[in-house]
Amino acid sequence: MMIQYMIRRILSSIPVLLGILLVTFALARLIPGDPCRAILGEKATQEVCDRFIREKGLDKPIHIQFGIYLSEMARGDFGESIRYGMPVTRLLVERLPMTVELSFSALIVSIIIGIPLGVISAVRHNSWVDVTTMVWANTGVSMPVFWLGLMLAYVFSLLLKDTPFWLPPSGRVSPGIPNDPFYEVWGLTLPAEGFLLAMFQFLSRLHILNSLLTANWELLKDSTTHLILPALALGTIPMALIARMARSAMLDVLGQDYIRTARAKGLKRSAVIYKHAFRNSLLPLVTVIGLSLGGLLGGAVLTETIFGLSGVGRTLYDAITARDYGIVQAFTVVIAFFFVALNLIVDVSYAYLDPRIRLT
Amino acid sequence: MPLISSKFKILWRRNVKRNLSVLLSLLVLMSLVLAACGTPEAPATEAPATEAPATEAPATEAPAEPTAIPKVPIATFDGTTLGVPDCDYGGFFKSIEATDQYTVTFNMCKSDPAFLSKIAFSPFAIYPSEWIEATAGETTRTSDGLEKPVGTGPYMVSEWNRGESLTFTAFPDYWGEPPAAETLVFRWSSESAARLLELQAGTIDGFDNVGPEDFATIEGDPNLHLQIRPALNVFYIGMTNSYPPFDNVKVRLAVAQGIDRQRIVDTFYPEGSEVASHFTPCAIPNACVGDPWYDFDPDAAKALLAEAGFPDGFSTKLYYRDVVRGYLPQVGNVAQDIQAQLKENLNIDAEIVVMESGAFIEASGSGQLDGFHLLGWGADYPHITNFLDYHFGEAQQQFGTPYPEIYEQLVAGGQIGLPEDAEQYYVAANNAIRELAPLVPVAHGASAAAYRADVETPQASPLTTELFAFSDPGGRDTFVWMQNAEPISLFCADDTDGETLRACEQVTQALYGFVVNDSATEPHLAESCTPNEDSTVWVCKLRQGVKFHDGTDFDSADVLATFNMGLNPGSPTHKGNTNLWEYYSTLWGLMEK
Repeated sequence: MMIQYMIRRILSSIPVLLGILLVTFALARLIPGDPCRAILGEKATQEVCDRFIREKGLDKPIHIQFGIYLSEMARGDFGESIRYGMPVTRLLVERLPMTVELSFSALIVSIIIGIPLGVISAVRHNSWVDVTTMVWANTGVSMPVFWLGLMLAYVFSLLLKDTPFWLPPSGRVSPGIPNDPFYEVWGLTLPAEGFLLAMFQFLSRLHILNSLLTANWELLKDSTTHLILPALALGTIPMALIARMARSAMLDVLGQDYIRTARAKGLKRSAVIYKHAFRNSLLPLVTVIGLSLGGLLGGAVLTETIFGLSGVGRTLYDAITARDYGIVQAFTVVIAFFFVALNLIVDVSYAYLDPRIRLT
Repeated sequence: MPLISSKFKILWRRNVKRNLSVLLSLLVLMSLVLAACGTPEAPATEAPATEAPATEAPATEAPAEPTAIPKVPIATFDGTTLGVPDCDYGGFFKSIEATDQYTVTFNMCKSDPAFLSKIAFSPFAIYPSEWIEATAGETTRTSDGLEKPVGTGPYMVSEWNRGESLTFTAFPDYWGEPPAAETLVFRWSSESAARLLELQAGTIDGFDNVGPEDFATIEGDPNLHLQIRPALNVFYIGMTNSYPPFDNVKVRLAVAQGIDRQRIVDTFYPEGSEVASHFTPCAIPNACVGDPWYDFDPDAAKALLAEAGFPDGFSTKLYYRDVVRGYLPQVGNVAQDIQAQLKENLNIDAEIVVMESGAFIEASGSGQLDGFHLLGWGADYPHITNFLDYHFGEAQQQFGTPYPEIYEQLVAGGQIGLPEDAEQYYVAANNAIRELAPLVPVAHGASAAAYRADVETPQASPLTTELFAFSDPGGRDTFVWMQNAEPISLFCADDTDGETLRACEQVTQALYGFVVNDSATEPHLAESCTPNEDSTVWVCKLRQGVKFHDGTDFDSADVLATFNMGLNPGSPTHKGNTNLWEYYSTLWGLMEK
């Protein structure tokens, strides 16, 4: 039953992705201004622009361009970036790991801090702990990432300069830190191009993973310290959302009859809270966490901008301003794919968390 | 019974809905598989390869659209001479000859007094002939060609960690003074506030494009140094003489005297900016010969407007695009101030119209704007022709019908190589601009770079050609520079992006280059380039004993191979990144027609 459900969900996501592709394709071309002068500058002559349009295949009718793009995509080819003159797949392999690391770190930060805060608030309902936590959570939700990022960098890079708490203000890895891909360190022979190579390159650009696989502790320390501030900045809003959601879910569960029964049976307070109440309050949290991760993967533009990180969000933003259709289309579809996949994972995880739920 | 029937209906609907969605998904999946299996006639990405770029396209091949007919290559190249049969193609070069191993002669189709300023531009850097051939791919340059350039510069590319940093190391066989720092690192961040934080934290040695709001912070910090970049641009208010009332010179002159330009510069421009005394910035030879622009005189302006028949002013429009440039750092505020001044000083009601950038450039360039337009210009190369000819030449329509009083002087001045000999013509041209007032030059906008205070020879080149080999980062081994964006590629012969060109300039060199922190040219790979009397022949004597990073020797064959690669679309080495060769095309003209 579960497998049937998953197959059906995967199949039904194809029209969704196709619809997104169609809308993105149309919207990208509806943005005023031509890609030639957006990329080559306003002084590009008409002759140069004519050649540009011809070289990039933009002279063909829109529906033909769309057809060509679809057939290429079906063969796993995302096309070419107009601006960089390189396959979009390569850009994805370069930029996606940065965003994946950042998003997961931010999510981990938000879960590790947000859930305990929410649980403590619920358990100490209406106490000063609850009020303080919720004021803090509301502040977190309304904090502009742009401002928070700069403030964090200001405090940890400038005010705490020359102290053990100093953190780098931007960038992903310090120049000069050895960063050999794990497949080279392991002496693996890979094909010169293709999916396998792209996959390995993608994994090796996840710096924390790569440093662990190659036992490169210098890189592990450097890449982790670089990730702390952006992860804090990006994780603050989901952290606050998770804390609020955890609190209300816990409050809801703590008022149930079976909790009263558990208490009446003389169970320890911690057992009641963590074994009986907490697990049952996880269901709404899973939805929030899943959707937050989707949002983090696609919406880290400001964080990436402040911390000088070339991730998916920043690249997509630059591509929109440069009318780089190839990147806009491919990156949007990839982000949409993440959303669809995360939704599916959330739905499937319901069945595990609550055996009463049957997926049909 | 009705209960069973409605239950059945609900079940039926649910199943049909589900099955329909699965059916639709399968259909889409099948069509995608079919599309993937089919061989498209001309996929977009492969189009250039199959259609053949302009370089090799036979004239008979069907063009994609009637307005863009691919041209046919006309150049011949035998290793020592690159030439065209005649000059009808419209470009500058008739031929380029390797006269001997260390002499190259450029025979021009027309006088080019700006030859040295143009040849010093980094897209015209010289590459080794063997490397040019080895890295020419099927349709574009190979990834080695795009990411690991081989030049003669003080630094070699050591590692490009895409998305993160670009590292250079000193070239041990460099012909000039060895670089002050053994290692040079380029990093990037699009936010000036973030760049400043990095400098204050001591993780970088310098950064470009200081936010105007941070000038005072940097100047007030003893650990930092603000390096003002001399303005090589101009912001102006344009008027098109094909639309009334701007067809009346008195109206234009009234506007010329009725705007308080000092107030605009004082209020909206960063330190180092200046009120424009002439259209062209004074750092360029002959830019500021002739009478300076009018002083602000609202009474005289009102009187002129009354004489023109508009004692009570008139209504018009004020067009601009909401795009920040060095010459116009606060677009909206400046536009509002000009609108207010027009009303206050001349009783002109100017309705503000904000246009999309591309549409604005097109409409202003073709003289289709019926009101005032706010625009500017930044130097491509530091020569007066780059400012005056591009605005007031005989073919330019931006200000309506071109003014012969101006363009005739430009034609005469453009034949003369030595600035002092051409001065008389530029005096006349500048005075004609002042008297006809097709525009009001307002400001030359400065920008700045910031450095740690212990950096010796901090640079903010007017052409953004900072050469970091000359800057000593306080005795440290590594100089870390932060700019706005990552380079696009490192093959700059076919690129126009400023952040990209700056990275290339550390690695490759042209025959001439620019003096540190100046727009004057100086010999680099050439010892000298001298013109004949009318600047139609330039003879360049090359520097001897220069080595490329790959160990090969530099000589005239490399110069010829480089220009053949850039100018000759018929050459198999004419493979770049974008394949547009914009600077070769715009500043010299590709050898095709």
